[in-house]
Amino acid sequence: MSGPGIPNYLDYPWRRRGLDHDRFLHRNLPQARPVVWPGKARVALWVAVHVAHFPMDMPRQPFVAPGGVDRPYPSYWDYTQRDYGNRVGIYRLMRTLDARGLRATALLNAAVATRYPALTTEIAASQWEVAAAGLDMGRLHHGGLGEADERALVKEAVGTLRGAVKSKIRGWHSPAHSESMRTLDLVAEAGLDYVTDWINDDMPYLVNAASGKLTAMPLPWDLSDLRLLFQQHMDTSEFVEQVLRAFKTLYAEAAQTGSGRILTLTITPWLMGQPHRIRALGAILDRILEHVGVWPATGAEIVDAWHVSVVSDK
Amino acid sequence: MLAEPGHYDYAPYSGRPRIVWPGGARIAVWLAPNIEHYELEPPSNPRKVPWPRPVPDVLNYSHRDYGNRVGFWRMADVMAKHGVRGSVSLNVAVCDHYPEIIERCCELGWELFSHGTYNTRYFYDLSEDQQRAVIADSRETILKYSGQSLDGWLTPAITNDETTQHVLAEEGIKYTLDMVHDDQPMPVKVRNGRLISVPYSLEVNDVPLFQIRNTPVERYTAIVKAQFDQLYAEGAESGTVMCMPLHPYLTGQPQRISALDEALAHIVVHDGVWLATGREIAAWYTEHYYDAFSKWLAAGTPGGRR
Repeated sequence: MSGPGIPNYLDYPWRRRGLDHDRFLHRNLPQARPVVWPGKARVALWVAVHVAHFPMDMPRQPFVAPGGVDRPYPSYWDYTQRDYGNRVGIYRLMRTLDARGLRATALLNAAVATRYPALTTEIAASQWEVAAAGLDMGRLHHGGLGEADERALVKEAVGTLRGAVKSKIRGWHSPAHSESMRTLDLVAEAGLDYVTDWINDDMPYLVNAASGKLTAMPLPWDLSDLRLLFQQHMDTSEFVEQVLRAFKTLYAEAAQTGSGRILTLTITPWLMGQPHRIRALGAILDRILEHVGVWPATGAEIVDAWHVSVVSDK
Repeated sequence: MLAEPGHYDYAPYSGRPRIVWPGGARIAVWLAPNIEHYELEPPSNPRKVPWPRPVPDVLNYSHRDYGNRVGFWRMADVMAKHGVRGSVSLNVAVCDHYPEIIERCCELGWELFSHGTYNTRYFYDLSEDQQRAVIADSRETILKYSGQSLDGWLTPAITNDETTQHVLAEEGIKYTLDMVHDDQPMPVKVRNGRLISVPYSLEVNDVPLFQIRNTPVERYTAIVKAQFDQLYAEGAESGTVMCMPLHPYLTGQPQRISALDEALAHIVVHDGVWLATGREIAAWYTEHYYDAFSKWLAAGTPGGRR
């Protein structure tokens, strides 16, 4: 038997052409304006590294960030395994990238800069780009956060990183890809210009913020080591397989459509920086770099090239 | 609460009337891309919370959005390359939000059937009138955007209530996908009218495989091939149905699309495969086998190996 129903459940206030919000426009990728990368490269290779701090007493509410502390307090298991990434793993990543002349973008929790200035200096010395990734993995941006609190959180994270890093900070990543309805407005207000939280595209697009436009950059979740190796318990060989399959698809699509593509390799020091995995990272990079028409670049460099090619009036 | 759906009696996979698909085919293969819109701020439902994280759940919302911006287009190209049509499990509001997707489906000769209005509007606790209103909306919207009649149904997020199948039959729906109890179509017991079930799948379905079971990408292809090979072999005795539900936000990703390509390449080279739509399978079964199956069921499923 069915009951009286749910009042107003069939009202559809956003049923219209386009999306059910005004943050950005819907775009069908095949109809996007073709992108020409520097040197007419087919695929831009963006290595994005999560440089994160997981406090041992991180809150469990409103949810625990993927990779977050899972066991009862005090979990030395969780805390030290992640901290390993900032002590050891990331140096392996740096050597692996340096050996191939590659620079990454560090998606850096401000707490890492505060706690480990030596690491921040090394990241800068490797000429990596630094993007702001909030305060730490326990300080999530989410719908239940008040505006003043969130503004202070963004300000503290960006301010700390500006104090710690000489190069200009342009990118933003919210811990756990989590936002409130106003996060992007606050990020724009803090003077940043690209963001990496929405996993809905393979290519950049423009995002509306109260104080102007931001550029969304693709930071795939399903293809990240955090998702595949940690959350889904896949073997390292499966991570290699999937990254190379993605590259093959994007490389072919670039040739077929005449528009550049981006392969974002999202990696985590406490995962890919483990001794038993680091050579797999080298193998992935070597397989990709042996192709003609691969342009290794940082996030900011890709954003700039995209604007020159697609957005600016020529 | 009911202890069972009550829409079918036990029917052994033995002694059934023999099914032969058009052209003497032994297996009907159909692909059901779920083209969906999940709302950023859905209304609350007493029995299901739409998003795992607080609203706005940017990660999960944008994951789904990928399907409409990128994944669908890639998947449609691969299916077209193999000459395989889709039968779209459609959140009909997609017609209003992204009409270009519907145009592409129509251009490819795909069927549209209803998967409700949005994938965040569940049938749990809806009154029968509310259920009817959603079905009527689906019928009108699909007709308006494609000229097609509404023949098939999969309740959004498979959240049907106890009365839903009865309401579907009374509203003129011809086939339902809410039950995965068989590898052949079956009559569905409803209080009025006529309804059949067509096999859907929660096994060879990219959501359970990629999202829940953490299936490696090469294993996906192997699973699809194994499912096909077995149903193809059994189809020599009596026609079977294989459904491949797809979700563009998962299978349309660059690391997975080649797995679909490889799976379809395996299927289409076989003789005796009917690459059909849900509507075509339902119509063929209803015309040729509904009465025979009903009679066999009414007689207590005689024959077989007993």
